[in-house]
Parts: sequence; C-alpha cells; structure tokens
Amino acid sequence: MNTAVAQTRGRGRGPSPRAAARGGTARGGTARSLGAILVVVVFAAPIVLLVSGSFRQPGLAPPPTPELVPDPLTPGNYGRALEIGGLTRATVNSAIVSGLAVPLSVLVASLAGFALTQAPARVTRALIAASFVALMVPATALLVPRFVLFRTLGLTDTLVPLVAPALLGTSPFYVLVFYVAFRQIPGELFDASRLEGASPWRTWRRVAMPLVRPVTFAVAALAFIFTWSNFLDPLIYVYNRDLFTVPLALRSLSTVDISDYPLFLAGAVIASVPVLVVFAFAQRNFLQRYRGSGWLGR
Amino acid sequence: MARTLTRALVAVLLAFAAACSGGGDGAQGTSKGTIRFLVFGDPGELAAYRQVVAAFQGSQSDVKVQLVEASDRADLIARLSTSIAGGSPPDVFLMNYRYYGQFAAKSAIEPVDTLLAASKAFRERGFYPQALDAFRWRGHLQCLPQNISSLAVYYNRDLFAKYGVAPPRAGWTWNDMITTAVQLTRDRAGRVVRAKESEAAAAAAVYGLGVEPSLIRVAPFVWSNGGQLVDNDRKPTRLALNSPEAKEALRSFLDLRLAYGVIPTDQEVEAEDDEARFTNGRLAMVLSSRRATPTFRKAAKFDWDVAPLPVFDQQVGILHSDAYCITRASSNKAAAWRFLEYALGERGQHVVARTGRTVPSMIKVSRSSAFLDSAQKPRSAQVFLDAIPTVRRTPSISTWPEIEDVTGGILELGLYRGESVDQVVAKLDAATRPLFARGQSP
Repeated sequence: MNTAVAQTRGRGRGPSPRAAARGGTARGGTARSLGAILVVVVFAAPIVLLVSGSFRQPGLAPPPTPELVPDPLTPGNYGRALEIGGLTRATVNSAIVSGLAVPLSVLVASLAGFALTQAPARVTRALIAASFVALMVPATALLVPRFVLFRTLGLTDTLVPLVAPALLGTSPFYVLVFYVAFRQIPGELFDASRLEGASPWRTWRRVAMPLVRPVTFAVAALAFIFTWSNFLDPLIYVYNRDLFTVPLALRSLSTVDISDYPLFLAGAVIASVPVLVVFAFAQRNFLQRYRGSGWLGR
Repeated sequence: MARTLTRALVAVLLAFAAACSGGGDGAQGTSKGTIRFLVFGDPGELAAYRQVVAAFQGSQSDVKVQLVEASDRADLIARLSTSIAGGSPPDVFLMNYRYYGQFAAKSAIEPVDTLLAASKAFRERGFYPQALDAFRWRGHLQCLPQNISSLAVYYNRDLFAKYGVAPPRAGWTWNDMITTAVQLTRDRAGRVVRAKESEAAAAAAVYGLGVEPSLIRVAPFVWSNGGQLVDNDRKPTRLALNSPEAKEALRSFLDLRLAYGVIPTDQEVEAEDDEARFTNGRLAMVLSSRRATPTFRKAAKFDWDVAPLPVFDQQVGILHSDAYCITRASSNKAAAWRFLEYALGERGQHVVARTGRTVPSMIKVSRSSAFLDSAQKPRSAQVFLDAIPTVRRTPSISTWPEIEDVTGGILELGLYRGESVDQVVAKLDAATRPLFARGQSP
C-alpha cells in the first residue's frame, strides 16, 4: 500500500528532492567506489607482482615477462629468506626499536604539541618557527655531529641511537600535527579543567588526549612506518650483524644474484607485512573517527 | 641527482675528516685486541669473509675481528666517510682502486709499504704488480690488493653451435666481433635480423652482444686503437677522447646500436639487463668482468665460456681490482696488519677465490685450482690470467667516481639516441673538466 502510494506520488510529482538526493548520493557512491577500485588496481599491481614473484623458484633465469602464478610455487623461499638474510633477528631488532620509539614519539610529540597550545603566543610562534627550521635541516647534515655524540657516549653499535630521536618526538612534524589538533579543541574546555583544579598534566591526559585519538593513531602509524623503514641510522650506527634492523637485512638480501631474486622478494613481503598490519589497525581508528561522531567528524 | 648529493656529502665528510685527523705513525698498537673490518658484497661473498675471519681467529687468540657488513659500495662509502669524519673509522676496509683516491687524497689511509717490506707472510713480488701499482699514491703503497680482474667476453656456446658461428678466439678483432654479433642477432624463426630500427629491434629474439655504455667499457677499446683516455695519466686535467684514434674507437662503440643493431635497445635493457638476458639464452655475448661468473654458473642452463676482448690494434684490457686498506686513524694498526697478512695469504685468498667472483691478486693462488678449477665454468678461466699483462688502469684522481657518473648518461645518448661522436666528445669534455680541476692526483 505504502509502496503504491509512493509510486503514485512519484508519478504525480516527479522524484522528490530527497529521492533525487538519494539518487545523487548513490551515483556519487558508485563513482567513489569505481575511483577507489581504480586506485587500488593501480597500487595493488606492484604488490601482486611482489607476492607472486616471491613464490617463484630461485636459481632460474629471471622471467622476461612477469608471472602471475609461478610454476612451481615455492613457498620455501620465505624460510630461506629468513635464514640467508638474517631477517628473523632483524625483525626482532626492528620490533624492539619500534616498540620503544613509537610510544615514546607519541608521548613526547603530544606533550610538546599540548605545551605549545598553553604557552604564551609569542613563545608559541617562536617555537613553531624553530620547528619549521628544524624540519628544513637535511638529516644528512646532522650525520657527523650525531655520530660524534653517540660515539662519545659509547652508544654506537647499539640500538640506542635508533630509539633516541623518539626522545624529541622523532620529527618536529609530529609535534606540529598535535599542536594543530589541540588547537581545534575549544579553549573553554581547558579553562574549565584548570578551574576545576586539574594540573596541566591531568588536563593533557584526561581532556586533550581523548579528544585527539584519531590524530594519535595517525601519528603512531607514521612514526612506526618511519622507524620500521629507517635505513640511514642503522647503516651509520650499527656494525654488529646481530643488531641489524629489517631495512639493513633487506638491503643485504637485495644483493643476491638476479636468479635468486625470489628470495629478495620474499624478504620484502616479510618486511612489509608489519607495516600493513599496523596501518590496517590504525586506519580503523582514525578513519572511522573521521567519518563518525568524533569532534573531527563534526 | 641523488648520486651527486651523495658525492657532495662524502666530500664534506672527508674534508671534515682531514681537518680532524692527525699524522700517521706507522703500524702501532700491540697487535692484540679487537679490530673492525668493513667489507661489502653479496651474501655469498660476505659468507666467505666470515669464513676468513673465523679461520683467522681460530689460528690465533690475540686479535679478534668484528666484521662490519655493507651491502654495496655506496653503503660502504657512506659508513666509511661518516665514521672517518666522526673519528671512529674501521681498522680495515675493502675498496676498489677507482674509488680509493678520495680517501688517499685526504690522508685517511695508512700506507703499507714498510709493513709489506717487513712481512714474513708474503712478499711484494708475490702479487700482480698491475694491481699493486694501482694503489700507489704519491710514491706510497696505500692498500694491498685482494683481487685482480679484467673485462672479458662471456659467450653462449650453445647459440654459437646452433647457428654455426665460429666462437671467439684469442686475437680476434673488433670487426670480427661485429660480424659475429650480426650473425647471432636473430628473430624468432632463427633468421638473421638487422635490428637497427625500433620496429626491427622488436623482431629480434636474440641479440648478438650486450655492453653497458660506460667509460670503463669504452676505455680498453680506445687504448687498443692507440688512443688515450686522459691527457696525462699521472696528472690528468681532461679527457683525451678528441684524438682520431680515440674517436674511431668511440664511434665504433656507439655504432653498435643504431648502425649495426646488435645490442638491445635502452628500453629492452631497462626491462631486462644484459646479465638477465644472457642467462635467459637471448644474448649471445656479453662484456663483463669476473664478477658475473657466479651468476652464470648458477642460472645459465646452457654451455658458456669466456674469450678475450677483441682488439683494434693491440690487445689491451682494463684493470678491475679491490684492496684491503688500513685507516690512518685506526687505533691498532699492528693487529690490523696481522689480519691482513692472514686474509691476503694463501689460506685467506683460497677461501675468497672459491666464491668464483674474483681473480686472486696473489700470483701463486691465481694459478692454483682454487681459481683454475677445471670442474667449474668457465673452462677458459685462463683468459682472465692471460689478460693481466695487457691491463691498463683508469687514472688515480680523487674525483674519478664523479667522472664515471657524469659520463655514463652522455655515452647513453650517443649509443641509443644517435648523437654524433663529436657531440659526445664535446659533452664529455665539458662535463668532466670541472671535475678534473677539482680532483687531486697522487
């Protein structure tokens, strides 16, 4: 009955504005989906080739054209890549470094970002300018001073130089991201917290951080990706093969004969999996919050 | 661009190191303790170095060696430059003669002549003099060569037999090589094809020859034709490729693609490099050093061998050699030397020679079964030893790595885009003059 009425109304007056909006939304949704599929296809192609290549039998001449399904499939490449490339030990080392550096980065960057919102405007401006200047200094320009510093402290050939940047938030960029996020929170909330006698530490922990959870997950994901894929620092500071992290081990594996490239590709898959897992976990938080009811979604 | 930045970084780091370093004072230390040994290589080579270190440590108990592994030369130079500038370099490192000048010019290397003269493990005359001479800087031997190699022609014997083409032989000429390469450039039906144009190139299933457009590939042919690479081998100020002899050799090299169509196009090389194409059986000949041997041993499913380089006028090869160097800032040079004596002695060289990747620098070992293993390909391994008396080397100048970098792109334009020899020579000269002017020679 209701359907019939609706059809009658529809015939009599043409599509209602809401129905038209729904139609437009549906078309927009389809276009978005098609666009998303297109992007996925483009970006998935190298990953598909990476995975399929990792199952190709090693010791053969490289195929002139890519093989989507190698014959025979050789899953044993993964075991050999772990063994030859020292990837097991390297993965443990990278996990230790990331496990320490990522929470530390988030902690320091968020505290610094929060402090910037609470400081007098003149101080904040000066610190933000300093952060931009720090961002513009090439990492290679600091190689020697940092090397001398860690050598003097007796910390070269340890994992400490790889974690140490987290004591400064890893990058001024993360501090600025938190600063921008905290500035979006109405200042009245912080004032109210202060009036209720909360300390700055408690305000940061109880008021500020819960409101920027999506940003926290995003910074954590970025810090993890940076730390996990950091090649230059371990190359300079670490000598002992047992302390190599994943990028160094993978680099070593990349020098195998061209006929053994399936082993290198298997190593690359192993090195990529943790990043994909962390990103999948983090994006559930920051994207859902963005779409949903958090303050960022309003 | 990235390479240029890396070079600039290395130069800055070395300048810093020079400012920080004090003078050398010969082999010092107690010949006890731990030393660091920086090398690069593929997993097979690194395993051989680990074996050498383990054998050395098993042979005595005073010196321990920490092996610092870099993956390739760029990584090794980054590690070395930073640690030298930071005042904590490795005690021993492995370096090619074309790259050590930048460190020798800054006095970052401890000369080893007096140590070698006093050594009871080996004598100077036990090494190939061609390799030793490449590491002399201002009259002092800076490093001790670990290997010596030269360019050779790897060829697919099965393809030669299939098409009834005579295999290369000693003394063959450049024109012989062109004729051979033309006869072996075939389409899918096995017909000879002149793959000069891009459409014809697409029809070529097998190419006759593979060679990369680089200065170190061109150099032996320039020398062979009576030309010179630089104006003055001791104090080079410019490339000397504008002589008629050098131009003729360079023109012959650049004609390989567009005049004869016997080498793959640049797009084909990008898609599949010469080593891969050769192992796939679709390249009849490829010019490479001894480094290619392990790959072909493992992956090539056909019969292959090596032959000497073709000649224009006289037989000339180009030196490839890496050496062990002791850093001037090493705190225990005596222990470092003890390790060198072991690694470069017969036992150490045997271990590294078994990787198949290098020709031992010690004459006795190079003539032993560790290198001339009749059970292993190539059966004509003697070709590498026969070439040693004819090898010449690139000049010792601190900016040589940069010179090689900038010339590669220009030679590519000549080979694949048909720029004339005069244009190529002019561009090479313009691009390299500032680098020669900035470089330091012995």
